[in-house]
Amino acid sequence: MKKQSQASGAGAVARFLRQNSVPLMFIIICAVLIPISGFSAGYLINEIVTRMGRNIFLILSLLIPITAGMGLNFGMTLGAMAGEIALILVSDWQIWGIPGIVLAMIVSIPISVGLGLLCGKILNMAKGREMVTSYITSFFIGGVYMLVVLYMMGPIIPIAHSSIKLPRGYGIRNTVSLLSMRQSLDNLLAIRVLGVKIPTLTFLIIGLMCLGIVWFGKTKLGQDMRAVGQDIQVARDAGIDVERTRLISIIISTVLAGFGMIIYLQNMGNLSTYSSHTQIGMFCIAALLVGGASVEKASIGNVFLGVILFHLMFIVAPQAGAKITGDSMIGEYFRVFASYGVITIALIMYETRKRKAKLMAGRQLQLAQSEDVK
Amino acid sequence: MNRKKRALLYRLGAVALLIVISAAMLWVGRGHTVYFDNKTLEYEGQSYPSFYRMTVKDGDATVAKLAKRERGMADWMGQHFEMQVEVLTEKGAEPVVYPIKLELPYGMDGIVVNLPGMVAGLPQQAWVSEFIPSEPQGAQEEELPPTEEDLVPTDI
Repeated sequence: MKKQSQASGAGAVARFLRQNSVPLMFIIICAVLIPISGFSAGYLINEIVTRMGRNIFLILSLLIPITAGMGLNFGMTLGAMAGEIALILVSDWQIWGIPGIVLAMIVSIPISVGLGLLCGKILNMAKGREMVTSYITSFFIGGVYMLVVLYMMGPIIPIAHSSIKLPRGYGIRNTVSLLSMRQSLDNLLAIRVLGVKIPTLTFLIIGLMCLGIVWFGKTKLGQDMRAVGQDIQVARDAGIDVERTRLISIIISTVLAGFGMIIYLQNMGNLSTYSSHTQIGMFCIAALLVGGASVEKASIGNVFLGVILFHLMFIVAPQAGAKITGDSMIGEYFRVFASYGVITIALIMYETRKRKAKLMAGRQLQLAQSEDVK
Repeated sequence: MNRKKRALLYRLGAVALLIVISAAMLWVGRGHTVYFDNKTLEYEGQSYPSFYRMTVKDGDATVAKLAKRERGMADWMGQHFEMQVEVLTEKGAEPVVYPIKLELPYGMDGIVVNLPGMVAGLPQQAWVSEFIPSEPQGAQEEELPPTEEDLVPTDI
């Protein structure tokens, strides 16, 4: 009896380790790197809180497509582009502060909906290969974005201010200053606790978003998404319009990613017109996976844990690299390696698990058939 | 009313609400830079000289302290501009406070307010003008469209 309980305890520990291997690995990495980096606790907490406010909303936008069984939405980049276009327009219209942020969010909605619709339609044609399809779609739309921002803004889309336009008269400068709305959201209602600035309003918005996601999961549409995520065929047999449900999940994700990008950029205070969005999908997905999410399952808890661990590594790795090797670039390489590596591991684990499940199902069927023959 | 009609009404309502919010944001969030000049103003053949010292205040906060022929500036959000100016006609004189109340023209980014003209009670068109930034002199500023090297990820 005792042996049995010991065995089941060991099994539970092994299962826990297996299920949380990625977050545990990052906890160990951070635990090793923090003392080496020599950063004070106050500095690290300040940085983490800032980066939580900056990134969490963006990462939350990834949750709904995962529920709908569409995996990690690399197409969130489309929403990020919509957010950037909205910010460029609002900057040119000279709308400052919180009103500027709100207006940018509203302006981004139709652009995000249009892009989300396009992406969703494409993904419906590529069922089972959503992640790679959304990844390539983001490159395709990236080209369209370049066309719009580099050639259409100025002659077709009116841009009045020379501080935004390239000196040649059309196209947008490499960097657009968002000084007029820099940290407006973060500074309003901000409080200081032991020297750490807490962006209360940003966290309030994130909190509302989390509640919204929980509430959405309980609605008819949310339940439909879960059903579609579990088994498309069963969901279809149950009368759910699978294509429409998947389409809506991608549109919601794209719109939220647009909002997230605006929150992210108002915190940064400037917009790198041609590069801000390029890596955002990759880093958000990496952070979510570091938090223990998988391609099929992710929760709000994974988002928070992921942001803390991933960004902690981002902060300490260059300094620790510099201390260990004398070259901070080693740390830079390490963090890029780790973020891409964690995505690779997650994808391999997902594919292995899928194949194992298929194999098990095949064996069970074979067993059942052989028993029937007997 | 059937479900489809009701859903359409809700959607139209949501769009209308977003349009109303956008219009409100466009109005309340419009940013202007207001420049204050303590410079002599010539209007209809009469001269309105600059003062010894002028201090522009927003409540208790000092926005600009201007000696003769000086210019100060302040950023302002919204269309209704309201500040105070403290005027000192000469050294050691008792300061006199005047309110600056102005409906900012929506289409102007930069607005120049000539304070001596305003203090003299002249009509608004005499002491308000548009600030037009000067074009960069000499060599044309260079900024080329991005190349592949510019597409390097920034900090996250």
